[in-house]
Amino acid sequence: MLKIENLHVRVDGKAILKGINLHVRAGEVHAIMGPNGSGKSTLSNVIAGRDGYEVSEGSIRFKGKDLLGMAPEERAWEGVFLAFQYPVEIPGVNNTYLLKAGVNARRRHLGLPELDAMDFMQRVKEKAKLVELDPSFLSRGVNEGFSGGEKKRNEIFQMAVLEPELALLDETDSGLDIDALRVVAGGVNRLRSPERAIVMVTHYQRLLDYIQPDIVHVLVDGRILKSGDKALALELEARGYDWVREEAGA
Amino acid sequence: MSLSIEQLRAQARDAFARHGVPTRRLEHWKYTDVKRALAPLADNLLELPSDPMPVDALGDELSIAGLDAWRIVIADGVVLSLPDDPPQGVHVASLAGQLHAQPEQGVAALHFDEQAPLFNGLVALNAALAGDGIVIRLEDGVRLDKPLYLLHLSRGKAVHIRHRIQLGRHAEATVIEHYAGMDAGLSNVISRLHLAEGARLHHVRVQQEAVGRTHIGRVEAELERHSQFVSHSVALGASLSRVDIVAELRGPGADCRLDGLYLTNGRQHADHHTVIAHRAPHCRSREMYRGVLDGRSRAVFNGRVVVHEGAVKTDSAQSNANLLLSGRAEVDTKPELEIYNDDVKCAHGATIGQLDENQLFYLKSRGLAHEEARQLLTFAFADEVLTGIAVPALRRHIEHAAFSKLPHGEDIEGMLAGHDGTGEMA
Ligand SMILES: Nc1ncnc2c1ncn2[C@@H]1O[C@H](COP(=O)(O)OP(=O)(O)O)[C@@H](O)[C@H]1O
Ligand SMILES: [Mg+2]
Repeated sequence: MLKIENLHVRVDGKAILKGINLHVRAGEVHAIMGPNGSGKSTLSNVIAGRDGYEVSEGSIRFKGKDLLGMAPEERAWEGVFLAFQYPVEIPGVNNTYLLKAGVNARRRHLGLPELDAMDFMQRVKEKAKLVELDPSFLSRGVNEGFSGGEKKRNEIFQMAVLEPELALLDETDSGLDIDALRVVAGGVNRLRSPERAIVMVTHYQRLLDYIQPDIVHVLVDGRILKSGDKALALELEARGYDWVREEAGA
Repeated sequence: MSLSIEQLRAQARDAFARHGVPTRRLEHWKYTDVKRALAPLADNLLELPSDPMPVDALGDELSIAGLDAWRIVIADGVVLSLPDDPPQGVHVASLAGQLHAQPEQGVAALHFDEQAPLFNGLVALNAALAGDGIVIRLEDGVRLDKPLYLLHLSRGKAVHIRHRIQLGRHAEATVIEHYAGMDAGLSNVISRLHLAEGARLHHVRVQQEAVGRTHIGRVEAELERHSQFVSHSVALGASLSRVDIVAELRGPGADCRLDGLYLTNGRQHADHHTVIAHRAPHCRSREMYRGVLDGRSRAVFNGRVVVHEGAVKTDSAQSNANLLLSGRAEVDTKPELEIYNDDVKCAHGATIGQLDENQLFYLKSRGLAHEEARQLLTFAFADEVLTGIAVPALRRHIEHAAFSKLPHGEDIEGMLAGHDGTGEMA
């Protein structure tokens, strides 16, 4: 589903990603772990299409299509979703309205009829319940005045409503207390399906107690130095990242 | 000791002769060349308006749709009709009628003070020439059941109007001044407002004059103790508009909110000058002005807050934010704080900028197309100012007018259909 080959990315002339290779198949859950500043958010942002990153080498293909040639909204229509590490507040833009516009833009792109207001509201209410989002948040401005944890919860709620094929979760676990983490993880787990892929980016293994990854990658200094199964995450938790660096001779 | 109307008019003419039409040499008219805008009228400025225009169906056509209000149409500065049976305790008269029947009240309505903040020659001109307007008084404790809606239709070359609104203790009212001038010319309107103890007034100006017209407005509000004044000034039309709002917080605990929105395009010029004078302790003022500028338009915002010596525990916050949609639009913004005691909390800030890249990316990552995302953010930015407008038909009217001014606004309006502004979907 997602094929990243030899991806090199620069920001302001500085090399941040230095040859990333990542293959994610439908149905899989991948975890990308790495210390702060290793390039995890850069990778997520480049996949979602944020400006300001220079791809100097390599390719990203999604369902066989060249993702790098697409505008961010086209990527969303194709089924890419990024849950932001730092969701921005957008006062005055209604949360539910945004989702309705997003869902219907994608449906138009896919040649499907738009959802009518009733069907849409039903979907919204159902998904809000799923992540235990207070219904009052639906009618507020996007993330406006939300606490850190509420913003993260809102990201997962949006993901549930938009039903992406590829979900990128950038540090969705940070800023969540243990109850919220459980709820958010529950939301993510319910989204797992053979047609969907999930890539979780985190620097704690905490989240992986709740969402079991199929594959764990270690991202250090812009390179994936090691990949393995769930046991790798536990090892990272116990031993830190330095041994991976040494082992890779980096 | 009180003046006769003749004396007042003579004094006003004299003051106008001395001050004249403001020029850019004056500090507060530096960016706004009203003299040039009025040049075509220069010789007729002292002429009284000619016969009132025929209104016919125009009043209905230009009225705010679906607004349940006490409507009064003022055509070329002449009050056409008054409510037949206003509620108990509400006294509505025309200034013309009052000048005739109770001249001393008329003189009070036309009062002007050369020492008042932002006084200028056009204030004197208004005092010299305004022949009509609305004079409304609410007795103590009276709550106006629906808004008073003043629809101003102007075709005359120069129209001078004077309104006076007095709210008794704990009285409450919403007053909407709607300006829909249709031809080139000058509208020069002054509204004098008085809020007695505990009174609450929501005063909304919606300026939608035709391009080609010059709109000069002035609002003077006096707030006694614990009164609450909310003002919205929306500038959409006219080639040049200048609105001065002066709020005097005279009694302890008075609360004042000045909000404003200007949307300009083409070569429009919109200027707001506001003065909030804190003269008593424990008063609060809030001010939020926003502008969206396109084309080669220009906007000016000058917000002065004066905290006088005895006005301890003053709590004041002011912001002015501007969005430039075009590289050729220009805005001059200047907050002015004058504080004469230490025991105050004051904050102000002004910004001029483009749309926020992070917000744009967020919306696009959720599937909104680039243009849609831009329009939505632009509209949301402007709409924030309208959140304090609790009359749904009025808010819808302004939003619709705003949409039709924004690039591709109709598309967004269509997308938002079924969305009633409170965030609930129909
Ligand atoms: N917009 C940017 N401008 C400059 N440097 C950046 C920018 N974004 C990221 N970086 C740098 O790139 C590196 C990787 O950052 P990031 O991808 O945010 O790491 P992580 O998410 O793993 O903590 C850091 O050294 C960071 O300082
Ligand atoms: Mg990060």
